[in-house]
Parts: sequence; structure tokens; C-alpha cells
Amino acid sequence: MMTEKNIARTDEVKKVYHVPLADIYETADLYSLKLEMPGIVKDNLNIVIDENELRITADAAAAENVKDLKYAEFYARNFNRTFRIGSDIDRNKVDAKLENGILTLVLHKSEEVKPRKITINQLN
Amino acid sequence: MYTNNIFNDMIKLRSLFDDFFEEKPGYETSRDFPPVQIKEEEDRIVIRALIPGINADNIDIQLVDNSLIISGEKKEDYENHPYIRRERLFGEFKKSIKLPFRVKNDDVKADLANGILTITLSKSEDAKPTRIKIN
Repeated sequence: MMTEKNIARTDEVKKVYHVPLADIYETADLYSLKLEMPGIVKDNLNIVIDENELRITADAAAAENVKDLKYAEFYARNFNRTFRIGSDIDRNKVDAKLENGILTLVLHKSEEVKPRKITINQLN
Repeated sequence: MYTNNIFNDMIKLRSLFDDFFEEKPGYETSRDFPPVQIKEEEDRIVIRALIPGINADNIDIQLVDNSLIISGEKKEDYENHPYIRRERLFGEFKKSIKLPFRVKNDDVKADLANGILTITLSKSEDAKPTRIKIN
């Protein structure tokens, strides 16, 4: 049985998203993420922090859609990946750098959660 | 108006499966690194390879007979910190691509941009069709 939703679905071309490979490390002050996104240009890249989600989406550049290929092991790639982030991250302090197909994100931890040295007052 | 239909759940299940099979890593990992794309034009051939995170200094391109050999090393960029996740791969690589026709050895252009290497080779004069005159 074909439902209306089913019929509607067959018409649309579903966009395929790839999951970029990622390396993540953590220090006392920050989290650093490195994602592999070859063929992505700055203008097509979207990095959104929405409550406790960090969403990275990127559409392949129009120039990537090469037609009439003789042989192909890859095609134009759209990327999408979401990370859950905690409340320890300062939402207003995120650095992003796109270089050589690698996106580097630095998420700084908020001041409240950073380790703090407490000075002892000598009282005598 | 929306009415509940048991088939809606079935469609949802199907999209779950679709997502599972369609969400894949950035490229076919079963292939030899780097994945390539070949486009043949009338008098040239354009080869593109995905090499994110590799500098031009660490790539070596050679023309041997009628093969193009791309080799190099993807140097690891790990920093001295505890990693939560390590998915990226590093190491040396070498890939040979057989060209469909002879090319001009001195007319090769290689560009690296956004992690994609584009090599343009032009067809050798010998490989172009020549008309033979009948006496």
C-alpha cells in the first residue's frame, strides 16, 4: 500500500551526507577537534552551536560536481556531523580554521570550570 | 489533516535503515589511498585525488611509462594531549594510475587546493589520431 507520504518520498532526491573523520583531544582549558573535510570551501561550511549540540554541516562546492567521469572512487561530498557538548564550554569562544581540507575547531572551556589556584592568605 | 496510519511507522523504520547505509565516512576506505577521480577530455586528462591534511612538500608525483604514480606521506599531527577520539589515519601511501593514452611528459600541471590534488595531463601528439594519405 502506498501512502501519500510514501509517494511524496519517492520523488525527492535525498541528499547524502558523509560523516567527517574526527580527532578530539581535551586539555584543562579547551577541547580541540580536527575534522577531515576535503573539497569544502569556507562559504559552504556551517558551524552551529544549538543548546547542547555542536553541528557541523558543509555542502560540496558547485565546482565539485564533475560530470562525465571516466572513473571515480569518490563523488562530491556533503558533510554532516553533530557532537554533544556539555555546559563547560564557553559558547561565545569558539575558534575555527579551515586549512588544506582539515577543519580545526577549538572550543574553550568557560572560566568557571577551569582549574583555579587558590591563594592562601597568611594570617598571623 | 493528519491521521495516524500504521504505515507511517514502517516508513520511519525504512528511513532509519536508509540513513544507516547512506551515512558513510568521507570516502571509500576499502580503496587504496588516495581515492581518485578521472575525467577524460578530448586532448587532456584530469585526475583528482582526495588528500586532506597533506602539504605539497609531502607529495611526490611521477610519470613512469604510461602510469602516473602518486606517493607521499600523511604526517600525523597528534599533539601531546590525551585524545578522546582518534579516527583519522596517517602514514605513507603510494598509488599508481594507468593512463588511457600517452601524455606529454613536459606538460603536467598539479594543483593542491582544499585537500584536493588536481593533476592535468595533456595528450601526446603520437596518441592523437592521424589521417593517413593513400597514394
